[in-house]
Amino acid sequence: MNSPPPPSTWRATLWVAKKELLTGFRDRQMTLYAVVLPICLYPVMFWIMIQGALLFQGRREHTTVLVGVNSDPGVEVPAEVFEALSYAPGASELKESGGGLEFVEILPIEQSGDPATVAREERAKGEKHIDALLTLRGAEQSGVVIAYDSTDSRSELAAKRVRKRMGIYAEDTRELAAKRGGLDPRGLTPFTSEDRNLAPDKEMGAFVLSLLLPLLLVVMCVMGAFYPAVDLTAGERERGTSETTMILPIPRLAVHQGKILAVCASALLATSLNLLALALSASHLLKQLGQGVDLKIEVPFVAFASIAPLALLFTFFVSAILTGVAALAKSFKEGQALLGPVQMIFILPAMTSILPGLELTTKIAFVPVVNVVMAFRSMLRGEALPLEYTLTAVSLLLYAGLAILFAVRVLSRESLGVSNKTIPLTRLFSFLRSDNLSR
Amino acid sequence: MTDLDPNLAIEIRGLRKTFQDPERGTVEAVKGVDLSCRRGEIYGLLGPNGAGKTTTLRMLASILAPTSGSAYLDGVDVAANPLEVRRRMGFLSTSTGLYPRLTARETLRYFGKLHGMHGDTLEARIEELLVAFEMESIADGRTESFSTGQKQKVSIARAVLHDPKVLILDEPTTGLDILAASTMVDFIDSSRARGTCVLFSTHIMSEAERLCDRIGIIYQGRLLAEGTQAELCEQTGEKFLDGVFMSLVRAADKSAGTPG
Repeated sequence: MNSPPPPSTWRATLWVAKKELLTGFRDRQMTLYAVVLPICLYPVMFWIMIQGALLFQGRREHTTVLVGVNSDPGVEVPAEVFEALSYAPGASELKESGGGLEFVEILPIEQSGDPATVAREERAKGEKHIDALLTLRGAEQSGVVIAYDSTDSRSELAAKRVRKRMGIYAEDTRELAAKRGGLDPRGLTPFTSEDRNLAPDKEMGAFVLSLLLPLLLVVMCVMGAFYPAVDLTAGERERGTSETTMILPIPRLAVHQGKILAVCASALLATSLNLLALALSASHLLKQLGQGVDLKIEVPFVAFASIAPLALLFTFFVSAILTGVAALAKSFKEGQALLGPVQMIFILPAMTSILPGLELTTKIAFVPVVNVVMAFRSMLRGEALPLEYTLTAVSLLLYAGLAILFAVRVLSRESLGVSNKTIPLTRLFSFLRSDNLSR
Repeated sequence: MTDLDPNLAIEIRGLRKTFQDPERGTVEAVKGVDLSCRRGEIYGLLGPNGAGKTTTLRMLASILAPTSGSAYLDGVDVAANPLEVRRRMGFLSTSTGLYPRLTARETLRYFGKLHGMHGDTLEARIEELLVAFEMESIADGRTESFSTGQKQKVSIARAVLHDPKVLILDEPTTGLDILAASTMVDFIDSSRARGTCVLFSTHIMSEAERLCDRIGIIYQGRLLAEGTQAELCEQTGEKFLDGVFMSLVRAADKSAGTPG
């Protein structure tokens, strides 16, 4: 038989990756990590958040909120409104009110106008600003307006208390009016209360996303790469197929690249499914959390298009590091043990995404992991930082390249194919120096 | 420029391999082996465990890089062109397990594609091998569910898929039951008729006696002697191969000053 021309290195790489993915996804655990978990994460996480919020509710009630009170031109705020707002309830009433009657400080506001505009201006003032604004409307628009910002937990709490107290006040007013006129109170309509949320739905969604998504994307990416990285390297040694792989009639580089590509594809799948699950489930579940807050969770197309290339580079970076380290282990179990601390190298810095005050700068753009979460956060908030984003992409490309070089260097060590020993991380550099290259 | 005998399928000269072991220090597994196999010849590398058989064959198959010395397979320098060596040989050992989550057919297709085969040619070759090794009924089953014998058949088919000129088999019958071992012995025997050079290692004397045109005795990383069975018997004055082996080992121990 005449020897047919061999496949190119790139084609061979793709075949290796395809085979690794095919065999990988025939394993239940890999499907669990790369498919099931990313889809189920959000429902479970938001359920935990709801439970946590309920637990936290008790503490929050002891916060004193500052409520501004004003009225439309020509309308005077009745003293009863101030009384109703500043009413100090007894212990039993507090308990019965479910927290709605506690600690409200009042600040009369002289300025009048559109409640949302006034509230925004007042909230922008100095350190001590109002948490919510109560506006009494004129004769044409009877009732009250409560302006607040649902992205601010204090403001949301203030609105809740004002709503509760105004509800009681409205009921008292109605009963009093009925009594005076000798009427049935049920025949009278109480004045209306209207909410004005200063945070647009999308802004609110973007705010929540910008806190959660960068961290979760990193976690999902790491989880998506974790299992296949171990399975394709340490798992292969455990199954006794590494020597089979070493006799494949293709360049070693194609084998190593194929493995890294397969790990990366799995991590990308996990990350993408995670995003999809977020889009499908988060809005519904967060509505329950916000209790009446109309929150829209959506990943804007522009933000997604901007995030995608960075996410791809980051996935290569994570996949290559995890594959390189997992290759040092002789068995699946030891591979998992080796990667345990290594995955924290990615997850711990990613937690900076929930830190207030830290922003993407030209320096942060070169700090691995932190750069990517900060860039994600800024993109989701719609911040235009072209220089910082470009620097982040350049540094990620560099880190991904170095990580792939590292992984290929580790995978190329000949003893990994034939030895039955795990190389401890502490011996990594001496191992890389001393062990022969497999060609 | 090295002068190579075109009649030789394998030529090994002064091959050495040392390992750095964190516990044992420098370990010299192969200490200058010279060996040659003609085209169409079956050559048995006979030696006890730890003699250096596997390391020698792994170097020849480009799995391990030689520390020094040279090895040629079908005229190709293993150190200079390991990829071409892998394309020209079939390799099988107890360590070359099958990918458990692939079916027999997928395994053959995967290796075939990587050997540059494709389309109808590849599919026809796969069918030919499935029939030849009586694997039609298990062709689409995952190899993880196969018996030892079935796995061995798939492994052989995988090794000969591209019709290599040289087959390197490292202890091919170790761990096999009688039926599977018999399949393997028959396969090696049939290779001679196909003109394939087979270099295989074993520590089972009867296999070597039955199959080999020539035999090399390897012990403690050194090739003590090589030749036909008759030549080795004549050289040592022994009647059977196990006697030849023990005689050579004792002589080696004596010259090394170790108790035999």
